[in-house]
Amino acid sequence: MSSDREKIFSAIRAALDPLPKRTAKPEWKRELIVCNPSGEFSSLKEQLADKLAFASSRYCDSFDQLAETLKAENSTFGYCDPELAPLFEKLDGITFETEYDVAKVNEYTFGITKASAAIAESGTIVLKDGDTSSRMGALTPWIHIAAIKESDIVATIPEAIDRFGDDPSIVFCTGPSKTADVEGILIEGVHGPGIQIGFILS
Amino acid sequence: MSLLHTPPNRPTGKSVQLMTTCLCDAFYSDVAKATVEILDFLGCEIELPDGQTCCGQPAFNAGDWANSRKVIRHAEKTFSGDKPIIVPSGSCAAMIFHGALLAFEKEEDLPAIKAFGERTWELVDYIVYGLGITQWPGKFDAKMTFHRSCHLRGSRSPEAVNALLTSIEGVDLQPIDEVEQCCGFGGTFSVSFPNISEKMGELKIENLTACKPDVVAAGDMGCMMHFGGMMDKQGMPYKRMHIAQVLRDSLKNAGKL
Amino acid sequence: MKSKQKIDLVARDLTNEVHEANFIGAKMKSERRYAALGRDYADPDKLRETAGLVKQHTLEHLDKYLEQAEASFERNGAKVHFAFDEDTAKKTVLNIMNEHGCKSMVKSKSMLTEELELLHYLEDQGKEVIETDLGEFILQIDNDHPSHIVTPIVHKNRRGIAKSFEREGLGDYNDDPETITRRARAHLRQKYLDADIGLTGANFVSAESGRIVLVTNEGNARFCMAANKVHIAIVGIEKIVPTDQDLGLFLNLIGRSGTGQQLTVYNQFIGGPKLKDQPNGPEHMHVIFVDNRRTEVLASDCREILRCIRCGACLNVCPIYRQSGGHAYRSVYPGPVGAVLSPLLAGNRFPELADLPKASSLCGACNEVCPVNIPIPDLLLRLRDKAKREGAKEAMKGTPNLAMWATMCSQPTMWKAALTMGHTMNHIPTQLIPHPSAMSWQGTRKLPKFEGGEFRKWFKNRK
Repeated sequence: MSSDREKIFSAIRAALDPLPKRTAKPEWKRELIVCNPSGEFSSLKEQLADKLAFASSRYCDSFDQLAETLKAENSTFGYCDPELAPLFEKLDGITFETEYDVAKVNEYTFGITKASAAIAESGTIVLKDGDTSSRMGALTPWIHIAAIKESDIVATIPEAIDRFGDDPSIVFCTGPSKTADVEGILIEGVHGPGIQIGFILS
Repeated sequence: MSLLHTPPNRPTGKSVQLMTTCLCDAFYSDVAKATVEILDFLGCEIELPDGQTCCGQPAFNAGDWANSRKVIRHAEKTFSGDKPIIVPSGSCAAMIFHGALLAFEKEEDLPAIKAFGERTWELVDYIVYGLGITQWPGKFDAKMTFHRSCHLRGSRSPEAVNALLTSIEGVDLQPIDEVEQCCGFGGTFSVSFPNISEKMGELKIENLTACKPDVVAAGDMGCMMHFGGMMDKQGMPYKRMHIAQVLRDSLKNAGKL
Repeated sequence: MKSKQKIDLVARDLTNEVHEANFIGAKMKSERRYAALGRDYADPDKLRETAGLVKQHTLEHLDKYLEQAEASFERNGAKVHFAFDEDTAKKTVLNIMNEHGCKSMVKSKSMLTEELELLHYLEDQGKEVIETDLGEFILQIDNDHPSHIVTPIVHKNRRGIAKSFEREGLGDYNDDPETITRRARAHLRQKYLDADIGLTGANFVSAESGRIVLVTNEGNARFCMAANKVHIAIVGIEKIVPTDQDLGLFLNLIGRSGTGQQLTVYNQFIGGPKLKDQPNGPEHMHVIFVDNRRTEVLASDCREILRCIRCGACLNVCPIYRQSGGHAYRSVYPGPVGAVLSPLLAGNRFPELADLPKASSLCGACNEVCPVNIPIPDLLLRLRDKAKREGAKEAMKGTPNLAMWATMCSQPTMWKAALTMGHTMNHIPTQLIPHPSAMSWQGTRKLPKFEGGEFRKWFKNRK
């Protein structure tokens, strides 16, 4: 009695054997899938800022501005990656814990974690397991602040894919979580963040 | 935005065979006349094979491929030779150069059927891309909309129609909304799914007449028989013409015919 | 109007409310698709054509790529299972749950799990299963089925949802979409935390690196893999693509094609359990590759349908789908893709669904919008041929018998005789012709005047 694996493989081979010829893999160049630029930008950072806004994310590169944004959202207590803590401790009026406590899942109003990269052509923030101090910390608070090093901004999706390496969990985040399930009306903030911030560290 | 599927390298030249289409043979004699008159005007020598009947599409679309093959085989024999075959219908043309290839996939006479398709042109495609005519020397004062039938997908006929109509003095060709939406004919679909066909027809009529045109034109009488039949039942005033009739009448108006 | 075709009758009898919701939703998504592709690419057709060839190539070498995917996942520390049929697939999920002592599952949206009816099976076995995608969650509490493969509750409106939420104890009646969404967020949050296993499908699988790819907007799939220790990815064998870079091609197409989004909010690339130093996430990853008759489709002359990446573009543009809605297709996959896939996945129950390929005017709009260039009208035609040859009665209802027509068309003397005799049509009340097709035609249309023979006579006499 053959295993399911054997049944499947032999069914595939039986299906394909009669084919007189097989389709070759088409060669295609990366330029094929690169998005038309939305404007002229003098840097990748500038293009990223434009596309972050287009995706309904927010661009930020000033600690003062970030502090103001958090206060305006009544979000002054959250979680922060311990390795980023020295940088973000300077946020005036904002406090955080550096060890994510599941019991406080609904108390953390923001989460600050590292981005591994950002993609300028699509306004995408790339999170990887290796750089994310806590998956829950990046996902559960209403506001997620992804700390992006300017040198980690790449121009295109193919370049971001070049940098996959062997991380087991890579997430492209293009905007805050959303749904249009109810009558096609767009609502931001479903199971993940309702506000997505890309914070550029220079 | 369909990928092109008309056969490449079809024969051109002015000595042609004309396929009337079963609908024009039975119901729309003036469309066939207009086709002859404009091909005449362009200096074509037209052979009308007497034994012609139908392209086989009704049975093919219904899934009755055995009966469809019967009809196509007869058509292939009737149009034997190597002249270009001109047909004033996108759907008949697509049946011959695309549909027939499916129906004959496992048949021994596939090569003959393939060769038949590789000589077949929809009328306007032939005028513009076969004979190279891009300006039509006619006159026709009318606001017009054109129904781009579904079987013109994958061909350059829509561009050809656009080129010719916009070049006619006096024609005000208006775009329509939802160009990609089918009128609801689909052959036997129109009688086996009458409720959906009707709703589709209503939407198409709305789009074709939104700008209150003087003339609603089309390149396929199957479509026109369906939505035109609805328009007649509702007593709508819009004049309907096949593109061949528009081209012919415009020449008459300009004193060229 | 009377009709013999089920889908036509569903369209006729839809309430205005459902019809409008479905129609407007579909049209809006089609328009957004067109706008996004036109804005972002000089030649969108080139992407569709290329993506279609990549998928076709993969399908035609599926044994090689499946083997490569298996090896890649194992290298990454995931356990790979194979399930030839529906029963084995379900049992495998159950066994994995039992092996890890799991009682409560949170899952993200997966059409494959609808195919397998996994939810009810697991519940019958005493497991708790919670759908976390908002639309699927609402369907679960209503004991309903999706009507669209991407936007599953397009047939529902806010009032119905509000009533359901009230019934489920999620709060007093409130039909504000934002309130509904916030309530679902709060309610499901606790479910994620209490569950001990997460199950996802997969939109794509990279054979090269051993990764599943999830294309979502809500963040629910992320949550299914953040708060518990076991992850199952259950995926059809046809979802494999060769390399990570190929994923870029498909990801750029799927969002734009389905909803007009450049990329959906979350594109996840999951290639194994969490890293050791990561505090949250699955310590075990299982991948179940499911056949469930996909190899039968691969062996058929409709194998191109397996290219489908489940974007929903064909549904959105289809004039028949816009009139009938998804439930009319009486199967997991509606619309043009469903009209091909559902009858084929039904195996020897093909005749029960053989009317689906007839519910089409063969307009070709579906192929025109398909990101992998599936020649859907050709496949529908093949299935119509199959239905006719196999005598599938449901399919042929309402279609006139064309044998007489074919005989007349292959005998010119008969044809010409008909051209002459047909003139009687002009002198009789045609509405009284008792032929079903004539009656169906004249329900809403006038017949044209019969002019048989006139053109031929004119042609002969000219010059």
